[in-house]
Order: sequence, then structure tokens, then C-alpha cells
Amino acid sequence: MNNLMNVSLKRRELFGWGAAAGALVLGFHMPARAATATATTAMNAFVAIDGQGVVTVLSPFIEMGQGTYTGMAMLVAEELDVDMSAMRVVQAPHGKPYQIMFNNTARFTGGSYSVRSAYLPLRQAGAATRTMLIQAAADQWQVPVKELRTEAGVVVHVPSKRKISYGELAPQAAKQSVPEQVALKAQGDFRLLGKPTARLDATEKSTGAAEFGMDVQVDDLLIAAIRHSPVWGAKVKQLDATAAKKLPGVVGAHSVHGGVAVVADSYWHARKGMDALKVEFDSAPHGDFASAAYAERLKRRLDETGVSAEDEGNVSQALGQGAQQLQADYSAPFLSHATMEPQNCTAQIKDGRCILWAPNQAADMVADLAAKISGLPLDAIEIRTPFLGGGFGRRINMDYVAQAVELARAHAGRAVKVMWTREEDMQHDHYRPMTLARYRAALGKDGMPMALHITNVGDGPDRHVFPEGITKTNLDESVVEGAREQPYAIAHRRVDYVYEQSHAPIGYWRSVGNSINAFFKESFLDEMAHAAGRDPVEYRVALLKDQPRFRNVLETATKLAGWRGKPWQAADGKQHAMGVALHRSFGSVVAQVAEVSMGAGNKPVVHKVWCAVDCGFAVNPLLVPMQIESAIAYGLSAAMHEEIVIRDGRVTNGNFDDYPVLTPAEMPEVEVAIINSGEAMGGIGEVGTPPIAPAVCNGLFTLTGNRIRSLPINARGV
Amino acid sequence: MTKLTINGKPHDLAVEDDMPLLWAIREAAGLTGTKFGCGKGLCGACTVHVDGAAMRSCSIPVSFAAGKSVTTIEGLADGDKLHVVQEAWIAENVPQCGYCQPGQIMATVDFLKRNPNPTEDDIRNGITNLCRCGTYLRVRKAILRAAAKMAEGAA
Repeated sequence: MNNLMNVSLKRRELFGWGAAAGALVLGFHMPARAATATATTAMNAFVAIDGQGVVTVLSPFIEMGQGTYTGMAMLVAEELDVDMSAMRVVQAPHGKPYQIMFNNTARFTGGSYSVRSAYLPLRQAGAATRTMLIQAAADQWQVPVKELRTEAGVVVHVPSKRKISYGELAPQAAKQSVPEQVALKAQGDFRLLGKPTARLDATEKSTGAAEFGMDVQVDDLLIAAIRHSPVWGAKVKQLDATAAKKLPGVVGAHSVHGGVAVVADSYWHARKGMDALKVEFDSAPHGDFASAAYAERLKRRLDETGVSAEDEGNVSQALGQGAQQLQADYSAPFLSHATMEPQNCTAQIKDGRCILWAPNQAADMVADLAAKISGLPLDAIEIRTPFLGGGFGRRINMDYVAQAVELARAHAGRAVKVMWTREEDMQHDHYRPMTLARYRAALGKDGMPMALHITNVGDGPDRHVFPEGITKTNLDESVVEGAREQPYAIAHRRVDYVYEQSHAPIGYWRSVGNSINAFFKESFLDEMAHAAGRDPVEYRVALLKDQPRFRNVLETATKLAGWRGKPWQAADGKQHAMGVALHRSFGSVVAQVAEVSMGAGNKPVVHKVWCAVDCGFAVNPLLVPMQIESAIAYGLSAAMHEEIVIRDGRVTNGNFDDYPVLTPAEMPEVEVAIINSGEAMGGIGEVGTPPIAPAVCNGLFTLTGNRIRSLPINARGV
Repeated sequence: MTKLTINGKPHDLAVEDDMPLLWAIREAAGLTGTKFGCGKGLCGACTVHVDGAAMRSCSIPVSFAAGKSVTTIEGLADGDKLHVVQEAWIAENVPQCGYCQPGQIMATVDFLKRNPNPTEDDIRNGITNLCRCGTYLRVRKAILRAAAKMAEGAA
């Protein structure tokens, strides 16, 4: 029996369904086979059942491509005994019942936390609902509960073979007392969990029916075009809207958070109005910020001690000993998220309420912000979250929400949709921070590392987004994650962090510090192996002799790939080579082997990636490989192409022509082996990103003898 | 005013001639399946068919489509019967965030008309729509599946 862990299954906490009902009416997230018009009964904060037996799940986590809605439906359906075809998912509103992370204190979609955070609460919600349905059937038929069982949305009276559907039972079941405890299925009894299960949203996303923030249609809608101050932090000095307001459809021009807005009756009118707007921005305090100069500043501090993130043994002493000393400096550039859907938000303040159609990764943060700007209490804020056209960490920052609420206040009663251009999106992102690192090691006579000293220099997302978390120690953990707590047996280890402020905004980028540190760490592991004259796989295996989980993942990937430590002539007549990388992030361990060659124009080609992932238990083995493919594409795109360049306090890139991303032709084949080790569940949405850059660069070293220590590859050359 | 046909229905849109076709479709005709991604014809999220040929609607003025027949993702299905490419997309579970997928599908439908029996290399060279979720492998599989299905139908 499982305690209900204070998860809100009580009916008095059903206020969330007020907003959900709105969502149902508006058809948010409802698949083409829409919910029927019959009355829907809320069973608890997470589950409702309509007269046709259609089960709606209120998901605490947001669907941005990672497949979490399918995962949430599976968790409920497993315990409730309902087929997936009867499951619907909508986004839960803000509020306490949905804060199911970290002992019911938080809720956001990130950190690859969704399925593992919901694994017990959503199953409990399904199981509690099932118990109440059974009790209602027992009452109706006047039979003992033990004579009843459930299957695919019906309660069956075993002796008489009578059946009654959940849809019929729901209104009476909702009046039953909520069980104090519910039994959850044993893993061996799972019907759905652990089985490949199709995405619930594939149809609506293949027909144009899926609604994204950009698509929100509200009566009497106004559209706002935005122009940010090109230099961060500059205020509007002068705003002359005379010419803009003469244009058709333009109804207003305003200063807003970060810049100016032109509001019109359509997007095209708003854009033309923006072109005609005369605006002068004040000088900004850091108008001379430049990425190249910042890189130089970081470089000068690579020998500083900074703040200690890890200190085992005596590194400074051990570094002076040993048969061989190694030192290498690495760098990673500023990166944009470049979600396919540019930032946008619709807001309306009317009759003492503020409604937001806000693509977001944290509904409670949106609500807090909207309450602050609108002056309305939290319970007057209603958030409807459409599908997100990509998130990758970008939509934790809510600058676009602030603009929408400000404009909704200025145009009270009207709904205002803020729509950024691609250029505004790219130039006003919250970037992955530029980071430099110095790695130093001493190798023993056997070539194995005795000491490893890592110094990371730069800025981090925690300090920019949640600064309250780092005041005590001055350590931004998001900068050192993945650099410290390594599995490799190295007696003397130190990780230092030197903070150098970035005047470009910093945010969370898929896998955060791990994406940077895995590149540095796994490249250096390779450097150590080559310096020792050892095969990079064999070298890692030797360092993992007391880490069976890591070793197993590494060996699974290298076996899958048919690991080759030396270049070979492939069927295409070219030399090919393999590179390997291993990294743990978000509770999962991932190893990747990349097969590379050099293509036209001295550009590398990645042919195939073999990946082993141990996430403890793969809830949906169909979606796990998709997320690995996706994470590899995202990480490979960055490794090959991406770099935000800042000059004179402004981002010089603007669109996919000067910020190229991975193209379909560049996508390698991917083969994934899932390891269900039974370890504590890890995440899956981000964990495939960190190893790809080092796996590719390590392969290129084997192929060419050139070590890539600075990304992106195509800008720096091989 | 621009007269054009969208998904078989005549429209008389009260829009300026220089308005990109994308915004005429999304805002004036109210069909939001066609997406805005870059505004410069670089990503393909806005792909529609104009007289049967795939075009990136963010970068052509609505006046170009005057008197022509435009098909959007909403017009691909035949009533309740989805297009074979859409069916392949669903069977391969292609979409992740889904934002670029209407464009991917519209590009594919046109591509398969010109390349009914494509190789993987044909697909690599022929479909250039961007996807940040990295659904490229499944897009490729779905195109091959749709091509096989269409060949079956034609045989």
C-alpha cells in the first residue's frame, strides 16, 4: 500500500477544473476525436470522466515535444484500467494541487523531471479513482467489492458477468469517500508502463489542428509587434508614434518590458506600424559588451581558484607528481534556444480577471508575474497553456508574458497577442552561457590519472534566473553540474568555479551545464587516454571498475557500435573513425559512439550514433529513442554550427541564415539501446544531449589527429 | 482585395497586396495550421501549395496567389480520410513539439509527386525544412512509408 503523499485527491481541491472546463470548451489539446458534450465529472485534481467514459487528465507538466502528455495519460490509464484511446490530456492551471515536485513544493517542466515526478502521484490519482468507481458499482449492485474487477473502462461483477461503464458510474463514484491509501500495481502487472505506446498528439499535430500559442484565437483580438532595445537594459528615450498611428489598423504604441510595442488589428498591420515607429533608446550601461572580449576576460581568469565545487584528496600536491602532466583549455560559445515557434503570449484583463494563453514551462511563475503586473489576486489569474512549439528551457523566462499583461492592461477588455519575430526571438533570448575551462591532470606511470583539476570560468543560469539559491555559497551549481561528481576513479579531484558576469542574459538550455561540461570532461578523458597510449574505451572501463552501472552503459553502447579505436576505410571510400563519450545527467547514464568522416569543404560528417541509455525504467520505450534522437540533433546542431556572437552590446545573429542549425541532410542515423536497470528513475528529455559533442570531437581526433577544444566545429575548423 | 481559392473554397480577402501569403492564410482566412517560423523562407514551417507546388508562404506576397489555388495542411485530408502522408506521419509517430510538421508534411506531399520512389539521398536533398526537435529520422521513415503506400495504391 502506498500513502497518498499529500497529493491532492480531495474534491474540495478541485478548483483547477474551473479553468480546465474553460480549456475543454475551447478545445485546447483536445484531439480530433474531441470530448463529447456529456457532463464531465471531476474525480480528483488530476482525473475527470465524462458520460462516454472519456478520461481527461490534468497534467502538471507541459507538452513541448517531449511526449509528456502521453506519459501522464499512461500513468493514469495503467492504474485506472482504461485504454489509451479513451485518454485525453489538458494542461493543469496554476496552483498548489499541481505542485508535485520536491515534496509537493514546486512545479515546472524542466530538468527532465516530469515523468519521474508524476510516477507515483498520477498513478495514485488513477488508482484512487478506480477504487471509487468500484465502490460505486458495489453500492449500485449491492454486491461485495471483492466480487468486482475492472477492465478497459468498465467494472465487471465477476459472478454474474454484469458490466457497467466508468462513464455511467462517474457521478456516483465522485461522491464516494476518497480512499486514505491505494494499492498500486506491481511492475510485473503493468499493461502499459514499459510498453511502446503511441503518442496521443500525433494526429492533431499532423493535421494542423494542434493549437499553439501563436494560433490562439479570441474574439476582438489585438496583435502586438515588439521591438526590443537592441542593447540589453536600455530604456526608451523617445517614442514617436505619429506616423505609425496613421497606418491602417494600428491602435496603439507603448513602451513595454524590454522595448516597445505596436498594437494593431492584425499582425501585418502591427509589423508595418512597427516599421513606421520612431523610437530612440537610451544608452545602456553595458553597451560595449562583446562575446570576443568576454572570452578574453574569461581566459585571463583560468588560473584563479574561485569557489570550490568539489575537493577530494590533495590535488595541488598530486598534480606535481606523476609521470606525465597534461593541461588543456576548452571553450563553449553563447547559444540560443531557437525554438521553432517564436515567443508569444496572449493576455486579456476583463471583469476583474486576467486570462493568459501563455506558452510556458512554469504555470505558477506565470501566475505570479501576471498578478504582480495586473494588480489582481492569484485566484483571478487564469492560465491556459497551449502546445509549445519547442521549449528547451527558453520558456522558463517570461519576458513575453510580461509584455502581454502590460498591453492587456493598456487595452483593458481586449485580448492582446504579443508575437515576436524570429529576429527578436534570437536577439532577446536567455542564452546558454559562454564558458571556458582549464583541465589539468597528472598521470601515473601506468598512464592512469592520479589527479584532475577542473576550473570553469563564466556565468550561469541559476544566478540569472533564480539568484536567491546561490547567495550563501556563491556557487552556481548550474555551471559545475556534470563537471563534479564524476564516476571515474581518480584519487585527487578538484572542481573550481570562477564567476565572471555576463551582460548577455543567461538561461537554461537543454541539459544546462551538462551540455558544456560533458564536452570538456569527455574530451579531456580522451586526451588522457591518448596520452597514455590506451584505447579510449578501454581506458574509461579501467576507470569504472567500481561503477558497474556506468561500465554497463558504456559497454552496451560500444558493443552496439562494434567499437573501432582506429580509423578505417569505409564503403564510401573514405576514412571513417569512431569517438565515444559517457555522461550522467538528470539521474540517467548515457553513452554514445559517433561514426565520423570528413566531407566536402573540410566539414565533418556524422554518419551514425549508437546510444545506450540507463534511465532506471523506461516508462515508454517508444518515446525514449525519440527523445534521444531529438537530444542528439539538438546537441549536434550546437556542436557543428551554433554560436551567438555579441558586439556593441547586441546580438549580431538574427535568423537561420546567420545562426544555422542542423539540417535534415546532416542528421545521422541513431540506434538506441535502453537499459532498464531498476535504478532510481532518471530523466530522458535532456540526457542525450551532453555526450554528442565530445563523441563527435573524439572521433574527429582519431580521424584527423586534430583535437577540437572550442565549439562550434564548423566555425573553428577541424 | 485578393481573390484566391484556399482548400477548394473561393476567398475574397480584404488585405493589402504586399501582405505575405502566410498572414493572409492565418489571419484573413483564419487557417492557423500553417506556421510562422522565420519570416524569410529559411525554415519551411509556412509551406503551402500554390497551384500544387510547395512554396514558403512567409516570403511571397498574397498578390502572387491571386486567382490561384492554395492548399494548406487543413485542406490535405479528403473529408475524414487523411492524406497518405499524414497517415504515415501518425504511424511513424513523427511529431514532437509539432510546430514544423504541417510544413514538413506539405513539403513532402509535393516532393512525392515529383519523386514517387525516392531514395534516402533524394529525401536528404529534397526536404530541407528545419526541425529543432530533430524529428528528421522519423520524417525520412514516414516519407518512405508514404511512398511505398502510394506505389501500392498506384499498382
